[in-house]
Amino acid sequence: MSTLVVEVRNVSKTFAGVEVLRDVSLSVARGQTVSILGPSGSGKSTLLRCINWLEEPDRGEISIAGQRIGIRPDGKTLMSDRELAAMRARIGMVFQSFNLWPHLSVLQNVTEAPIHVLGVPRDEAIERAERLLDKVGIAEKRDAYPYVLSGGQKQRVAIARALAMNPEVILFDEPTSALDPELVGEVLTVMRALADEGMTMVVVTHEMAFAREAADEIVFLDQGRVVERADPETFFNKPSTDRVRQFLQRYS
Amino acid sequence: MSRWDILWDHRATIIRGFENTLILFSVSSVAAFLLSSAIVLVIQTHRGALSGFFRTIVDGMRMLPFLMYAYILYYGLPSLGIRLDAWTAGFIALITYHAAYFAEILRGTWATLPKGQTEAARAVGFGNLAMYRRVILPQLMLRTAPVLGNQLIVCLKDTAFLMIITVRELTAAASAVQSTYFIPFEAFVVAIALYWLTSMAIEVLVARIGLVAERRGLGYGHVDSRR
Amino acid sequence: MDQAAFSALLAGAWTTAWISAIAIAVGVPLGLALALLREARVPVVGHLIVLYVSLGRATPLVTLVLFIFLAAPLFGFPLDRYTAAVITLILNTAAFNAEVWRAAIRGFPREQVEAARAAGMTRPLYFRRIMLPQIWITSLPGLVNEMTFLIKASPAIAVIGIVDLTRVTNRIAAVTYEPLPPIIAAAVIYMVLISAFVRLQRRLDERAHRLTM
Repeated sequence: MSTLVVEVRNVSKTFAGVEVLRDVSLSVARGQTVSILGPSGSGKSTLLRCINWLEEPDRGEISIAGQRIGIRPDGKTLMSDRELAAMRARIGMVFQSFNLWPHLSVLQNVTEAPIHVLGVPRDEAIERAERLLDKVGIAEKRDAYPYVLSGGQKQRVAIARALAMNPEVILFDEPTSALDPELVGEVLTVMRALADEGMTMVVVTHEMAFAREAADEIVFLDQGRVVERADPETFFNKPSTDRVRQFLQRYS
Repeated sequence: MSRWDILWDHRATIIRGFENTLILFSVSSVAAFLLSSAIVLVIQTHRGALSGFFRTIVDGMRMLPFLMYAYILYYGLPSLGIRLDAWTAGFIALITYHAAYFAEILRGTWATLPKGQTEAARAVGFGNLAMYRRVILPQLMLRTAPVLGNQLIVCLKDTAFLMIITVRELTAAASAVQSTYFIPFEAFVVAIALYWLTSMAIEVLVARIGLVAERRGLGYGHVDSRR
Repeated sequence: MDQAAFSALLAGAWTTAWISAIAIAVGVPLGLALALLREARVPVVGHLIVLYVSLGRATPLVTLVLFIFLAAPLFGFPLDRYTAAVITLILNTAAFNAEVWRAAIRGFPREQVEAARAAGMTRPLYFRRIMLPQIWITSLPGLVNEMTFLIKASPAIAVIGIVDLTRVTNRIAAVTYEPLPPIIAAAVIYMVLISAFVRLQRRLDERAHRLTM
C-alpha cells in the first residue's frame, strides 16, 4: 500500500490558449499538510480543482490513494458520473466562497452528503455532525440557516461538512481570502488543529504565517510551473530562486 | 377542392378579421399608453383623493379577467341605461384595462428613477408637465420596453376575447369560415400563425427600443454575476 | 339574485377552480420538464421547445381552445369540452412556466453545483437534493404569478360552451333579466381569488429573497 494520498504526475492544462498548468507534479503523503503558494494567476486553484476533477487536465495523471481519478483503469475512457462521484466522496473540498447550501440548516449542510452519498443512517450522521460542529466551535448554530452566519462561521461549517465525509484528504481553495481580516484567525485556528491531528491537507493560500507554521511542505507555483518545493524553514529563510525571494518580499 | 383551397377562397373574411384585430390592437394599445401616462402622472405627483382613486382602480382592474370586464361593459351597463355597441364596448374595455397594467409598469419604474433628475429638470426651468413629457416619460418608455412588450402581446391576445361579445375580429372570422365549411384545422392554424407573426413583429419593435435604451445606458442592466 | 342564481354562480366558480387547478398541477412540472430539456441542449428538441414557447406566448386562449376542441376529432381524438379546456390551459401555462423555470435554472449558482459534486453527489442526486429545492423556492413567486394569469385567461373556455364563472352570468341573466348583479358578483369572486394569489406571491417573494442573501 502506498502512503501517498495525492499523486499528481506531469499535469498540464490550457484555458482558451493560455497554459495554466505546465507539467506539474506533486505528491502528498498521508498526514501531511502541503501549502501551495504563488502569485495570483499562477495556476494554484486550477491545480487544486484538477485533484478532484472539477477541472479536467489536458495531460498527466492524478491518483487518490493509489487509484486514478477521472480516467478508468484501462487508461483511456473517462469515468462515468457515478464513478467520479464515488472518487470525489473520498476527497473533501473547502471553497473560497464557502458554497454552503442555503436551503439547508447548518446541521443539514453537514449531514446531507453522508446520508445521501455514503448511506450513513440519519441518527448516526446527526450525532457525528454535532460532534464536528462542536469541534469547529459552532455547535450553538446547528439549526441556523447559512444566511445568518458570518463568513468565518460559514467557513467553519464548510470545514465540518468536508470532515463529515471522513475524507482521505481535504483540499482548501484560498479558504480565508473572502473573509474580513478579523475573521481569518478563527478559520486558521481550526485548520491548524486539523493539521496537528494528522489530517491530510492541500492548502492554497495567501496566509504566509499559516504556511510557515502548519505546513510540512511548501510548493511554489509561478506561471503554471512548480518553481520551488521545500520545507517551510528552507522556503522562507533560504529560498533558492529569485522568483520566490521577490514573492516573499511582496507578501511578508 | 382541398380544404386549403376552400380557405383561400374565403381569404377575404380572414383578412378582414385580421385587419379588425390589428385596428383593435393598435388603436387600443396607443390609447391605453397615453391614458396610462396621464394616470401615472396623477398618481405620482398628486396627493389625496384623486391619486388614491386611480391607485385603487389600477390595483382592482388587474385582479379582474379581461372578459369579465368586457362583460360588465357590454352586458352589465345596459341595466344602468348605458347601451354600448360591441365595438365601442370592446375599445373601451381594451383601452382602460390595459391602461391599468401599463400604469402599474410605469409607476414601478418611476419609483426607481434617481431623485436628482427631476430636480435637475426643475432647475433648468421645466414645468411639471413639460418635465414629465420631455424628461421622465421617455426614460420610462426606454427602461420598461421589455415589460411593456410582454403587456402588448397580452393586449393582442385579449382582442380575441371580443369575439365572445360578437366583435368580428380574427378568431371570430376563422370561426365563421370553419363552421360553414368545416375546416377547423386550416382556419385556426392560419389564425394562430397570424397572431404569432404579429407578436413577433411586436417583439422586434420592442427589441429595437431596448437597443436604443442600452445605447443610452438605460438598459435593464443584465449584469452577469458569474465573472 | 335568488337562491338558484346564487348556487349557479357557485357551480360556475367551482368549474373555473377545478379546471384551473388541474392545469396548474400538470403545467408546473411540465414546464420544468420543458425547461430542463431545453437547457440539456439536445439539438432538435431544443428548437422545438423554443418554437412551442414562442407560439404559446402568442396564441390567444380563445383561439387555441377552439382549435383543439374542433380540430382534434379530425385526427381521431374526439375530445369532450372539459378535456379540451384542460389540455388548452395546460399547453398555455406550461409554455409560460417553462420560461420561469428556465430563468431559475440559468441563474443557479455554479458554486452550488461544484460544492455538491465535490461532496460526491451524482447528477441525479444533486439535482434532487440541492438544485430542485432551491429553484423551487426561487421560481415559486413567478409560477404563482403565472397562476393568476391563467385564472384571468380561463374565461376563454366559455367559447366552447363550458359554463364557467364568467359564462354562468349569462345563464343567470337569461332567467332574471338582470345581468348586472350576477356579473358584479362573479367579478368580486374573481377579485377575491386573484388577490389571494397576489398576497401569496408577495410572501413567497420575501422567502425567495432570503435564500439569495
